[in-house]
Amino acid sequence: MATEPFSMQREDMKTNSPNPKILVRNLDFYYGETQALKDISIEIPEYHVTAFIGPSGCGKSTLLRTFNQIYKLYPNQRATGQIVLDGVDILQNMNDLNKLRARVGMVFQQPTPFPMSIYDNIAFGVRLYENLKTLEMHERVEWALHKAALWDEVKDILHRSGNSLSGGQQQRLCIARAIAVKPEVLLLDEPASALDPISTSRIENLVTELKKDYTIVIVTHNMQQAARISDYTAYMYLGELVEFAGTELIFTRPAKKETEDYITGKFG
Amino acid sequence: MADGSEALGKKSNVMLRQLSDVRVDVHYVADLLFKNITRFFAFLVLLLLAGIIVSLFIGSLPAISKFGFSFIINAAWNPVTEEFGGLVPILGTVVTSAIALLIAVPVSFGIALFLTEMCPQWLKRPLGTAIELLAGIPSIIYGMWGLFVFAPLFRDHAEPWINAYLGALPLIGVLFHGPPMGIGMLTAGLILSIMVIPFIASVMRDVFEVVPVLLKESAYGLGATTWEVVRNIVLPYTKVGVVGGIMLGLGRALGETMAVTFVIGNAHELHASLLMPGNSIASTLANEFTEAVGKMYTSALIELGLFLFLITFIVLALAKLLLIRLSRLEGKGS
Amino acid sequence: MVSLPARRRLINFLSQIGSVITVGFGLFWLGWILLTLFRQGIPGLNLNVFTQMTPPPGSQGGLLNAIVGSFFMVMLSTLIGTPIGILAGTYMAEYGQTGWLSPVTRFINDILLSAPSIVIGLFVYESYVVHAGHFSGLAGSFALGLLVIPVVVRTTENMLKLVPNRFREAAAALGTPQWKVITRVTLRASRAGIITGILLAVARISGETAPLLFTSLNNQFWTSNINQPMANLPVTIFEYAMSPYRDWHELAWAGALLITLGVLGLNIVARTFFKQRRHGN
Repeated sequence: MATEPFSMQREDMKTNSPNPKILVRNLDFYYGETQALKDISIEIPEYHVTAFIGPSGCGKSTLLRTFNQIYKLYPNQRATGQIVLDGVDILQNMNDLNKLRARVGMVFQQPTPFPMSIYDNIAFGVRLYENLKTLEMHERVEWALHKAALWDEVKDILHRSGNSLSGGQQQRLCIARAIAVKPEVLLLDEPASALDPISTSRIENLVTELKKDYTIVIVTHNMQQAARISDYTAYMYLGELVEFAGTELIFTRPAKKETEDYITGKFG
Repeated sequence: MADGSEALGKKSNVMLRQLSDVRVDVHYVADLLFKNITRFFAFLVLLLLAGIIVSLFIGSLPAISKFGFSFIINAAWNPVTEEFGGLVPILGTVVTSAIALLIAVPVSFGIALFLTEMCPQWLKRPLGTAIELLAGIPSIIYGMWGLFVFAPLFRDHAEPWINAYLGALPLIGVLFHGPPMGIGMLTAGLILSIMVIPFIASVMRDVFEVVPVLLKESAYGLGATTWEVVRNIVLPYTKVGVVGGIMLGLGRALGETMAVTFVIGNAHELHASLLMPGNSIASTLANEFTEAVGKMYTSALIELGLFLFLITFIVLALAKLLLIRLSRLEGKGS
Repeated sequence: MVSLPARRRLINFLSQIGSVITVGFGLFWLGWILLTLFRQGIPGLNLNVFTQMTPPPGSQGGLLNAIVGSFFMVMLSTLIGTPIGILAGTYMAEYGQTGWLSPVTRFINDILLSAPSIVIGLFVYESYVVHAGHFSGLAGSFALGLLVIPVVVRTTENMLKLVPNRFREAAAALGTPQWKVITRVTLRASRAGIITGILLAVARISGETAPLLFTSLNNQFWTSNINQPMANLPVTIFEYAMSPYRDWHELAWAGALLITLGVLGLNIVARTFFKQRRHGN
């Protein structure tokens, strides 16, 4: 859990951390006619772990998925407002979707190993935008697998299909794959929900390790997990951002009653 | 190691930005290209259909302009005087298919019923697979068996009986009155029915299997017998799909060539009796097309082909529409 | 427990009897046909069939040129039809969520799937053979290719649609351009199913006679020129069976048995291959 070197202003729900990596202003999101996000404004701090928590259907995954515009794959989903990444509003900048996604990586709820070897899984994303020589590629793959704490388990079976790994290993493979392209932000959508407790704790350790180099946003339905690994937590309900503050604050002295009710398990 | 890789990481991030601009443009072009290539080939399928109809139409123009509407009702077929009428083949196609379905539908229904409701678990997979494999047997096999095995036996044992007993009945007797030759419309219909049974049976089985188990179980739980469950639950639920399946079978039967050509008799004569030889559109084409001399002869044959295609197209389109409706109803029901 | 009234029980019993009878009826005829095929075909299957050419009536011979010709035309038509089918099916599954092209093509494709194959042969005759001026193995391959396309289109579309969306999303999330997502991830994941579909298409066209009647015709001799009529098994069987010659009949049965074994074999391979790959994953 993070300690806070800065003073927090609970009233205006903004954090006063030095570098907001992603700035969201008045974001609305629609699935067809249904509005799923209502006037969201939030700042995601750089090189920290931010967690989105809330009951099912509150919009936390939806919000996460606006950060890499993955919802654009579906014609009836749209967003209005501002999402600023490093000074550029990605909602206005239509052209470089793929480039954006190379900078903002994502790991999904269920492991999605591509139908290729473990090595190729990692190399796949790298090959899209970089021209590495064979040796450099080897190094990059190894580096990514080390970071994902998977190297020792797969170093002798890199040629094997990604499918041959266990669930927890597959998910770490997906994390390695996301890291290998050296994104600036990592979005994790309930990455451990489909895994056993041991794999889950491995991944949690990973996240804590990774935040040194990346800005991480994690969606989780597991409050204890959020409390364990995140520096900042946002509580969402029915498409609205109810409260956003340092994790310790949210969990010990939440400003809003709704937050407190959720955290203490009065509903969920 | 940690510091070195930090520097490495930051440095290659800068390179990433420079390289990726070029790549992004290449990707954009490649995306556009791929999408349009695949779209073109999807379009090709439509063009194919249009092309078939158009080319058949053009080929039948001479015959259409000469014979006009009378082509459908004229039974004459004279290559010498170049007078052609399609009544015999068209009627033959319809009659043989009707006979085939009359037999195949109840039999397939019974088989599908057995497979879904009464079959012991250990038999289900092998029997189901056997039916599917049988549906894949080339139709020429049926034709050969019909000609060499079935027809002689039919002629010697069944047809005299049919002639004597069914032929003596008032009104419909005229359908069954004729010299026993073994081949003919009735034989063709029978062979066709055997050929079409595995196909209709597997379609019907697929349709029956769609019924939610829970629905059936609740009926059984009330004490209904197997037959009652089928009659009151399965059939109403699947009736659209069943009709669709029957029509698919009809489409198959209408266009079948080899199973019919061997045993239909290849005679352009109109008879009331099913025991007499006749012709279907497909068998006419198979037997006469390569030897047709003269533009009108060829054109008349092509017009027959056009008819066959249009009839089949309509039947299959109706079947598809029904099946689409079934899947929509399913969607609403669940 | 209340016992069922006798009438209901009777009806149920009769329906069950009826059902079993139909199964017996169906299996009886189909079994007889297969039995005949084996009984007539096996005696005719000797080494000559595979080593000698099709003979004139009255002489000894085999089916070599017909077998090779069929093999060749089936290969060529698969080569022609498969890429077209895969690309069209890919459009329908991956780009076809919006717009009219995809549903209309699906509708038309399913109709073409069951269209009378003799009419397809007629079409190739009218559009190609007439203009080329001669029958040819190439025309026969075109006709068979047109039969392959609808099968592959349908299989490709169905198999692609089975791939869960999260794989597409995972690839897109890396910044993968759509064409690469489709080719390197989605199509690759459906590989086994699509291959099965191709095998089933091959099985289907191997037994087709009608489309070859006016396109490739038949050839008593050997030819390696695809612009000439080419010998093939189905039409040879047709000619021989319809003829009055006993030795030709023998060869026809042998050929029929060969085709059936080939078709059944392909079907079985396709099904087991697919099941293996699915369980392997």
